[in-house]
Amino acid sequence: MAEAPGMKYASKVEMPSDFDQFWNSVLTKVATIPLRPEVQLDPLRSSDELTTYQVFYDSLDHVRVAGWYCVPNKSSDPLPAIIVLPGYISDPVIPKVWARRGYAALSIAPRGKVRSNHQFNPGYPGLLTHNIVDRNTYSYRGFYVDAWRGVDFLLSRSEVDPARIGVTGNSQGGGLAITTAAMRGEVRAVAAGAPYLCGFVDAIGITDTYPYQEINDYLRLYPDRRDQVVRSLAYFDGINFADKIRCPIIVNIGLQDNVCPPETGYSLFSQIGSPEKWLYEYDGHGHDAGGYMHDATVEEFFGQHLKV
Amino acid sequence: MTELPSDFQSYWSKTLEELAALPLAVEEEVLRSRSTDFATMYGVHLTGIGPYRLFAYLSIPRGKGPFPAIYYLPRYGSVVETIPQGTSNAKRRRYVMLSIGVRGQRNADQPFAAEFPGLLTEGIDDPNSYIWRGIVSDCYRGMEHLLTRPEVDTNRVAAVGNDLALITAGLHSGVSHVVCTPELFYSTYERAPHTNTYPLEEINDYLHLHTSSRTQVHTTLSYFDLRLFAPSVEATTLLMAQGQGEFLDAPTLEPLAQSLPGRVDVHQSEHSSFKDGVFVERWLTREFGFRRAILPARWR
Repeated sequence: MAEAPGMKYASKVEMPSDFDQFWNSVLTKVATIPLRPEVQLDPLRSSDELTTYQVFYDSLDHVRVAGWYCVPNKSSDPLPAIIVLPGYISDPVIPKVWARRGYAALSIAPRGKVRSNHQFNPGYPGLLTHNIVDRNTYSYRGFYVDAWRGVDFLLSRSEVDPARIGVTGNSQGGGLAITTAAMRGEVRAVAAGAPYLCGFVDAIGITDTYPYQEINDYLRLYPDRRDQVVRSLAYFDGINFADKIRCPIIVNIGLQDNVCPPETGYSLFSQIGSPEKWLYEYDGHGHDAGGYMHDATVEEFFGQHLKV
Repeated sequence: MTELPSDFQSYWSKTLEELAALPLAVEEEVLRSRSTDFATMYGVHLTGIGPYRLFAYLSIPRGKGPFPAIYYLPRYGSVVETIPQGTSNAKRRRYVMLSIGVRGQRNADQPFAAEFPGLLTEGIDDPNSYIWRGIVSDCYRGMEHLLTRPEVDTNRVAAVGNDLALITAGLHSGVSHVVCTPELFYSTYERAPHTNTYPLEEINDYLHLHTSSRTQVHTTLSYFDLRLFAPSVEATTLLMAQGQGEFLDAPTLEPLAQSLPGRVDVHQSEHSSFKDGVFVERWLTREFGFRRAILPARWR
């Protein structure tokens, strides 16, 4: 087995000179679009201990985004809140587990996921390379904003304490948690597991597994577009967002991760701007990134920083 | 303990007869973007009961076959993968691989788009309307198509996946090996109240709202219980159990293992996708007569 790369690995990703300008223009654009939050009680998924809602809101390009929202029944306002972000191939969970712990919990289905795919549906595989040569129409431009707008949804809820919002996810959810924390100062704590969407260009040279393999598939077909792809992906690389994170954050990685290579996790962690950051390395673990043991750490971390 | 419905055999015989009456009506198209110099990927459309149009990804190694085959049964989710996430793409050099997209999943979601959660209780009040009757037959259909390919070594065909892998092997004798990670249909009615995590939480949700449906739900689920398919499984089987003390750990699965007539290995999860993944890869490699497993980077 190959030796773990440790902190010495340096990502190949470069910071575009107009990175902030690009994202500021996106945020300016989405700010003109009313959120139009909608909350529908879901009796099938509710119980004596918690209430589940199907939620919807508008995002970039007026795409209607769906989510699940769970609130504990027996709790005094205001509630701390958690945003749960989905993996690449996984369907967004109903976040009952977080409601049972005392949080208002929002699980988001960014565009293209089931229930959010009426206006945009590049498919799986497909999402990762949809318009990949053009940062202005690349799939993840809107996908990221859909996740970030979850913060606006929580801020629209009277039962949520706006000063106690956290964000978490694994794999793609981990990558989205990174960018959400970077771009939304309201986020007060982050737990990112096996973060995907970080070190794209590194990953495609290290792995031969999907989903990153989608990029290799694309470049095999269009080798002349490599420079365009590399330039474009730099705007979406979690490593380039990381120095904007100022809140407490924990990251867990598996040293035998066959999907998101640990090299990319180390590179990400080294770039995180927050002085309160902790890395959990799980040797003997793959893309699970030690989740079986680490879940308790995540629960304790949010309990400490969001004061449940 | 789930009891055998008196018409268990006829229920499935009729289902497969209904399927047999429909031609596969296969359309295969080369997917250039997923094809390499060592394997060609096809997108496959074929017909299941309903009639309903299904989808599959089929990867065929280049070169002279026949090749052993791995039949990936669908995970519980909307996405149909070309090959499972985290699998080395180089495995496509050695194996024919088929990933079936059953009704409701992506690329097979017209007119029925499944919801997750939701699929586990779709039509559950009646065994004949339960969506999983169709899904099981879709898996059988995928197996039928796989065996039509001349590149396949029909003595080495592994069904890999959750409960559907074992169920498919119980219905189709062409499966020589099974790697099954039980998730959905092992004593479901009895076990669901002991968990609050999805997908089995779907059963709890459903019965919480439809309290008068308990008997019907119990009856419907009994047609899908793994223990009732097990005696028909001729394949060599690897059962992937959850970790010690967990919901579906090795002791819990023991009755299932006992009811399988062929050779059975039970592997208890080590709570590591790396360790469990390497175990499966090496088991299949050995069973198929190869010396070295094809592993992804970081697992070698």
